Amino acid sequence: MSKSNTQKAIEWFDYRLPIFSFMKHSAVEYPTPKNLSYMWNFGSLAGIALVLQILTGIFLAMHYKPDVNLAFDSIQHIMRDVNSGWLIRNMHMVGASFFFIVVYIHMARGMYYGSYKGPREVLWWMGVIIFFLMMATAFMGYVLPWGQMSFWGATVITNLLSVIPFVGEHVVIWLWGGYSVGDATLNRFFSLHYLLPFVIFAVVFLHLWALHTHKSNNPVGIDLKKDTDFIPFHPYYTIKDIFGLGVYLIPFTFMVCYAPEYLGHPDNYIPADPMVTPAHIVPEWYFLPFYAILRAVPDKLFGVIAMVAAIAILFVLPWLDSSKVRSARFRPLFRPLLILFFANMFVLGWVGAKPPEGIYITIGRLATFYHFAFFLILPLVGMFEKPKPVPKSL
Amino acid sequence: MKTLFTLALATLIPAMSFAAGGGAAPVEQDWSFKGITPDWDKEQLLRGYTVATQVCMSCHSFKYISHRNLMKAKFTEADVKALAADMDLGINDKLISQLTAEDAKAVYGKSIPDLSLMNKARGNGADYVFALLTGYEDGVPAKYAHDFENGLPDGGYFNHAFPGHVIAMPQPLNDDQVEYRDGTSATVEQMAKDVTYFMQWTAEPELLARKKLGVYIMLYLFIFTALAYALKRQIWKDVH
Repeated sequence: MSKSNTQKAIEWFDYRLPIFSFMKHSAVEYPTPKNLSYMWNFGSLAGIALVLQILTGIFLAMHYKPDVNLAFDSIQHIMRDVNSGWLIRNMHMVGASFFFIVVYIHMARGMYYGSYKGPREVLWWMGVIIFFLMMATAFMGYVLPWGQMSFWGATVITNLLSVIPFVGEHVVIWLWGGYSVGDATLNRFFSLHYLLPFVIFAVVFLHLWALHTHKSNNPVGIDLKKDTDFIPFHPYYTIKDIFGLGVYLIPFTFMVCYAPEYLGHPDNYIPADPMVTPAHIVPEWYFLPFYAILRAVPDKLFGVIAMVAAIAILFVLPWLDSSKVRSARFRPLFRPLLILFFANMFVLGWVGAKPPEGIYITIGRLATFYHFAFFLILPLVGMFEKPKPVPKSL
Repeated sequence: MKTLFTLALATLIPAMSFAAGGGAAPVEQDWSFKGITPDWDKEQLLRGYTVATQVCMSCHSFKYISHRNLMKAKFTEADVKALAADMDLGINDKLISQLTAEDAKAVYGKSIPDLSLMNKARGNGADYVFALLTGYEDGVPAKYAHDFENGLPDGGYFNHAFPGHVIAMPQPLNDDQVEYRDGTSATVEQMAKDVTYFMQWTAEPELLARKKLGVYIMLYLFIFTALAYALKRQIWKDVH
């Protein structure tokens, strides 16, 4: 059988830059465990959510003006005058929230099935780095519309850095580019908000590189040895991911078209006013659990440390967890503790949205305590737990 | 894990919504722009426009709105030209109040908010705005007397909906304050309803387009997702 000209051209190119072999190797033939549940859809969904944010963001940046006197109006220009501008902006706004929902589920899946354990620790690290970068990007993005919540949220959060001993005040002034959140701050936040997603994209590449080196974990959590335990990524997981994408886009579209402001705050439709402080300054919902931890600690410096540590502790999770068993399915002690940990996140999120007074302070402190206690007792859990019998193969 | 996921979603939704701070939650009104496929009522928009331009604009501006914008809400070019001419405006001129920021500060002691986005800038949106416009009382009602032992502060008016109940804006609407072009009786409630309706349009002129597009995308996605699922089942049928 003779080769077609297209085939010859592809081979010519591939011999010089093996991009086709690479694609075939890592997106078509790539061996994937055959027993992955729908919880494994959220990785690819997170990738799609990132790409959607970048695409909509590029178009928004064509019409947005990072100037304290023009920013708010330029958003209204996008909403009213730019063709389909409202659609692009709503997608970007809702997309940010959905990106976090997807990533939170993706992280929860990783914790439940012990995906962070060897040999996937570096893969897990890349994920934690992506999460930090996402939070920085989202925070700066929320400042750009220059509404009341943009301004005051930025003021409260950047002020946190002033707790750094000796140099804190200087760091904050350096970050602001002035003596308060202002035009210079808005400009640099716009610059970084545009830059960081591409940094995230690069780390996602490392995340996937690490993933493809040792392949996906699976719900049983055992190392798969037989060839028959794997199926090629295409068409099995391409179609499964496409179906998952459809399921994702339905609520996404619903929010974009019928409830675009539901996850936002009405105060952000009031132009930023440094002279008027809003009654309650609340961050976006995806920051609320960590905001609750910040406020649970009476000391400002230790509050900030606790907030950062609450996430950074994920870096050492692979070593805190002393159990050899990956999947929570076979871990009678770890499983309920982990479910409580997830539930506790919702409690923290709820407390984060409430004013820091009365009973909310107590609940916030208890929830903060459990958040850290969960991680710190993990070495003991692994020691005392009697795992259920783990199957040797699928 | 599946039950966990459902549980998570069920708790996530209410956890995300914020309570609007301040006054009592306003009564929910039956607005025609709610729902999946609403349509602007041209008559009501025009009545709201009448109140907005003849009453609100003595002090407030609608700086994102020009008469031309009304052409996206069923008004013809002839309609908007006539309306604009009545106000000595071109159809591209924005609806800016004659009251300057300095004068406003001198009279009311504070700056006067632009109204274009008001329905989006307050919790409970249109319901709140309507409740505010109809929520005035002459003096403090007995129920709140203990909160105002020294009476209302200077330049303050009692309002049921406003957070803290003291508002600097005097009651803006009084019966028969405007004459509607369609002869509708201009009661306070009617005017409040109409102008709130108009303000929903100024806040979200894209509302109809948004909801209409949503129907098509959702229908498409339901079919797309069902087909993807069928294909997934087909492809996976031999995997055990």
